[in-house]
Amino acid sequence: MEKALICFAAALAIGLCAIATGWAQSRIGAAGAGTIAERPEMTGTIIIMLAIPETMVILGFVVAAMILYK
Amino acid sequence: MIARMSKLEIAGPKERLLEVLDVIRELGVFQPEPEVGYFVAAERQGDIHLLIPDQGTMAERLFLENLRRMTCRIIELLPAVETRASLLDPLPLLDTIASVAERHLALCRDLDAQRTARLSEINELARCAALLGAIETLVGDLEPHGSLEFIGVTLRDSQQVERLREGLTRLTGGDFTLSTSIAADGALIGLIATPAAGSRRIRQALNEEQFPELPFPPALRDLPFPERIRLARERIAVADRELAELDLRREIFARRWLPFYRRIDQWLAERLALFSTSSVVHETGMCFVILGWAPSDATAGLARQLNGRFRGEVAVDELQLLEQDLGRVPVALRNPPYLRPFELFTRLLPLPRYSSWDPTPFIGLFFPIFFGMMLGDAGHGLVLVIVALLVMRRRRSGMLTDAARILLVSAGFAVLFGILFGEFFGEAGGHMLPITPLLPERSSAIMPLLMFSMALGVFHVLLGLLIGLITALQRHERRDAAGRIVTICLLLCLAALAASLIAPAPWLRSTPFLVAAGILIPFLFLSGGLLAPLELVKQIGNIVSYARIMAIGLSSALLANVANHLAGLSGDVVLGALAAIVLHAVAIVLGTFAPAIHALRLHFVEFFSKFVEAGGRRFEPLHK
Repeated sequence: MEKALICFAAALAIGLCAIATGWAQSRIGAAGAGTIAERPEMTGTIIIMLAIPETMVILGFVVAAMILYK
Repeated sequence: MIARMSKLEIAGPKERLLEVLDVIRELGVFQPEPEVGYFVAAERQGDIHLLIPDQGTMAERLFLENLRRMTCRIIELLPAVETRASLLDPLPLLDTIASVAERHLALCRDLDAQRTARLSEINELARCAALLGAIETLVGDLEPHGSLEFIGVTLRDSQQVERLREGLTRLTGGDFTLSTSIAADGALIGLIATPAAGSRRIRQALNEEQFPELPFPPALRDLPFPERIRLARERIAVADRELAELDLRREIFARRWLPFYRRIDQWLAERLALFSTSSVVHETGMCFVILGWAPSDATAGLARQLNGRFRGEVAVDELQLLEQDLGRVPVALRNPPYLRPFELFTRLLPLPRYSSWDPTPFIGLFFPIFFGMMLGDAGHGLVLVIVALLVMRRRRSGMLTDAARILLVSAGFAVLFGILFGEFFGEAGGHMLPITPLLPERSSAIMPLLMFSMALGVFHVLLGLLIGLITALQRHERRDAAGRIVTICLLLCLAALAASLIAPAPWLRSTPFLVAAGILIPFLFLSGGLLAPLELVKQIGNIVSYARIMAIGLSSALLANVANHLAGLSGDVVLGALAAIVLHAVAIVLGTFAPAIHALRLHFVEFFSKFVEAGGRRFEPLHK
């Protein structure tokens, strides 16, 4: 039971962060697509901006790893 | 590196201005500065003002602009044939050129108008011929009798055909024939054959539903049906012949005159550019003054050239660069050949200020290492090395070659880390290599690699803060420098504290670091204000963000392992090999993009925010 709870906690840690990242990226992606349509020279910057919310899922991953491997 | 710039003042007799500007544009190392306030002391600013062109100069400029309009129009109207380059010097012949260009422009316009008319006629006749062809198919050799009416319409697509058919069925109760045909210009044409009695209603309905009716040209409208077809085809043949003759005339004319007009246009563009440049030139009662910037290593050459060409009539003075000038100094990046391709990434960011740091050397140093650590597979790295070499062999310069050079270096590091991790197209491939991995397997050693990534983050963030500290000290910003020193010390304490908790050792105790951190916190408030702890948390967040090196690396390793596993499941050598190739190709593509984007992000967001100050003005020298 304890192991199941630990696994569930790790899954929550990374899962919720992944949902948040996905939501943020969907907003940035939509705005970015509009920007690229008008200013194609911004492509590189938009790709980088799209990668910014991934910090959340990385942090979630770190927490999940710490829960699982403590 | 940001090139050192010099602040220059070039002065000489006014009648030499255009020649001086021509030499400056030829050398391409000088950027004029339109604002005099940064260059001239307040007491001198009354004596110097923007150059006001005299009447003769204005007349010349208007004449040249008009001539250029004519030459541009002639070049536009003529077919773009390949011709030799003309070496003509237009200056002594300008009046003759102007009168000839006027005549030639009229001729070109006439030829173009004739051509447009022929093309339009051919299109109209071709549609009409398609319509007549469809009528011919319907009625065969018989002459259509008076009780039958034919209506042609232009249609957009097959959906519109169906809509038309449904509408006609409703209107006539099925007493009609609809056939379609594609005209020579690709337009879809519909032909409605219906009894003459109901044709009026159909025409009215077509008009209401906005189906454009295709009219017969007036010349053909009243002729008997077979005569119409014959005449339309004859007229198309004649118009085609006339068009070919016109095209031949235009081509002969273009081959004869286009090199001449291209040369004149080039000369006019250069001459008018000189006039435009003169709008940033200043004058005193005696002479012209051009103020501006040039790279320090090019200043001596510029002065030598101007002295040599004008025998001392033109003076080049280097002015003292003051602190208030730093915001105006244009920025030119100069990097050694190894680092130059990495300017591709720097260009994604706003240009740094002259007094800041060029981010290129840092990207050139750390990007390949981060990329290599994340990809970390010798096999995938070798494939990317081959791809990069192939691209570099096909193209010698340009953005793609720069990207290939970056890929080559980064893939080299991926091979190196692949050997260290013992991965060659996945961990299974690494086991077959006759080498002992120096680092643990990435798929199992998650925590050690996480700690290693964080340690790398600590180093990288501290390096950024240290460079920021140097900048603050250079600018005598004491408070900012003190804040950075306290932040660096606190981060070091926290890193040591984390290390003492994760790997306890008798020589590494947590208490001294806790005490040190406690002592430093008041200084943090003193140097950075109430928001300073938030800044510290941001720095810690930046360090944790480096965990992505391990996370992306882990996904890269697992993807390669999955590719091997799925290929092994097929149970057939050929199918397995094919599956392995496809799956590893996917792994390589993902393994190239994800590490590249994340390595860049670590630089742009976590590292450069510590010391790179954006807002620089690009150095854009006058050039030919």
